[in-house]
Amino acid sequence: MSDEARVLPGQGSDHPYLRSALSHCLLMAASFVMLYPILWMLAGSLRPAEDLFGGGANLIPSQVTVAAYPQGWFGLQVNFGHFFLNSLLISSLATLGNVFAASLAAYAFARLNFFGRNFWFALMLGTLMLPYHVTLIPQYVLFLNLDWINTWLPLIVPKYFAVDAFFIFLMVQFFRGIPRELDEAAQMDGCSPWRIYYKIILPLSLPVLATAAIFSFIWTWEDFFGPLIYISDMNLYTVQLGLRSFVDSSGTSSWNELFAMSVLSLIPIFLIFLFFQRLLIEGIATTGMKR
Amino acid sequence: MSVSERSAAATGKGESSALARSLRGAVRRNAPGYLFLAPWLIGFLCLTLGPALVSLYLSFTDFDLLQAPNFVGMQNYIRMATADPKFIAAMRVTFLYVILSVPLKLAFALAVAMMLNRGLTGLPVYRAIFYLPSLLGASVAIAVLWRQLFAADGMINSVLAIFGIEGPSWISNPRYSLYTLVVLSVWQFGSPMIIFLAGLRQIPTDMYEAASLDGASSSRQFWKITLPLLSPVIFFNFVIQTIEAFKAFTPAFIVSGGTGGPINSTLFYTLYLYQEAFGNFRMGYASALAWVLVIIIAIFTAFSFLSTRYWVHYDE
Repeated sequence: MSDEARVLPGQGSDHPYLRSALSHCLLMAASFVMLYPILWMLAGSLRPAEDLFGGGANLIPSQVTVAAYPQGWFGLQVNFGHFFLNSLLISSLATLGNVFAASLAAYAFARLNFFGRNFWFALMLGTLMLPYHVTLIPQYVLFLNLDWINTWLPLIVPKYFAVDAFFIFLMVQFFRGIPRELDEAAQMDGCSPWRIYYKIILPLSLPVLATAAIFSFIWTWEDFFGPLIYISDMNLYTVQLGLRSFVDSSGTSSWNELFAMSVLSLIPIFLIFLFFQRLLIEGIATTGMKR
Repeated sequence: MSVSERSAAATGKGESSALARSLRGAVRRNAPGYLFLAPWLIGFLCLTLGPALVSLYLSFTDFDLLQAPNFVGMQNYIRMATADPKFIAAMRVTFLYVILSVPLKLAFALAVAMMLNRGLTGLPVYRAIFYLPSLLGASVAIAVLWRQLFAADGMINSVLAIFGIEGPSWISNPRYSLYTLVVLSVWQFGSPMIIFLAGLRQIPTDMYEAASLDGASSSRQFWKITLPLLSPVIFFNFVIQTIEAFKAFTPAFIVSGGTGGPINSTLFYTLYLYQEAFGNFRMGYASALAWVLVIIIAIFTAFSFLSTRYWVHYDE
């Protein structure tokens, strides 16, 4: 996406500077409003407990303290370090599975000829629209019978079977853009489909693999419903579940601690956003991701 | 194949061996594809298609997780339609949420995208700022924050107090609680905005040039050029955002503490489904709820696609 200036005639050709200054003012005000809640939470986490609501809508705390961070960290029976480690493990393993399984399926759909390919492809696209609630209860019963309840397996294993068709779709689109001459030449040289997949297609697809990995990580990190259903042992909690317990256990007394933990839970996503913003935005613009 | 068949006939071997050979050929041709497809195929059959069919069956039973399901015919669906005020409340809340949040969100997304598309410097910065809430918005932390922003002593009321207005407790007042969630959804207009921006860039500038030479005002240009040419993108965003809105769960769960309260005012459909399945263990009934959601989404999608020929312009 290039950001070159586009001059649209008929739109403010009389006072171009005034118009653009006005636009900037509006956009800056809008940016401020958009970011205000997040900044307010950050400020709230740095306030002493008794000052939180006395501070009202102010962004600048009367007195800055980081006391809420250690207090919140050790605020539940299990500390938040545990939850962060759990979330990190689950999200990393889920991401690995998603990228691995989705790229295999996408390669088959984009490059290999086999009987019934279009049929399966149509079914795969059909699952994009299917709300997960429809598979929820039988899946729960299945995992119950496998004795997987209260483990991370229901959150991780399905990703190794590419259940999120979105990533397959995303990769098929990208793989189709890679020139076919490359794999045809490799085929002439006697390369097996597996070699073509990991020697040619995968190395050329790093951008889409990265995009899928980033979205996969963020979505797993933010997932609340899955852990809510499958995990009840606090030692296995994810960060999202930890935050929810914090809301339930603490009254209105320790909102600054809750805010502190909330801020920490957003930091990984924020860092990914800072470093991979371009990939995220391109991923959305080209595929129309939902979030 | 024909060569091998002919040679099989020439060497005088039986027909069965030719069949076996052609079968082997078919396997050899299709094996790589199915090997690569295997993980997805297993997942699709065992984790998607199979469970979906099972839940369709369960929706006609009284399954409660403890005992074997008994077939009860249409009873779950009849109960939903006639004897379940909570179901009606959940439908009302969900439809209100969808009808309010989706158009507002898309309107904001389009307005900001058009403003950013004017070639301002600093576009990447603005785009990133407006996108950030979409990325963070699904997490529990933001729902927690929202609950506090709109609390009786929260930030919104502090701002209103500056103007001498005493705001209600938005979250715990059933008249307003749903609207706080609508605001939360509209706040996350960033991803449709990015899709709109990409779409706006596809519109050739010379169309606007020609139109303004002919003396078309900018509002006329918007209605006659921008909207029609952007209509496929609007349609796409509309369908995706509506389906997502029907499936919303986390904000309502956190803001209401899992109850959907006060007085069912934030009882999203998915939240009710969760309560029935994992609170009351009415798994059969919850399966029926899930299938009703599928039917609603399917009808909505079908009508949207049917409506496209009246308002969506595709390139000839």
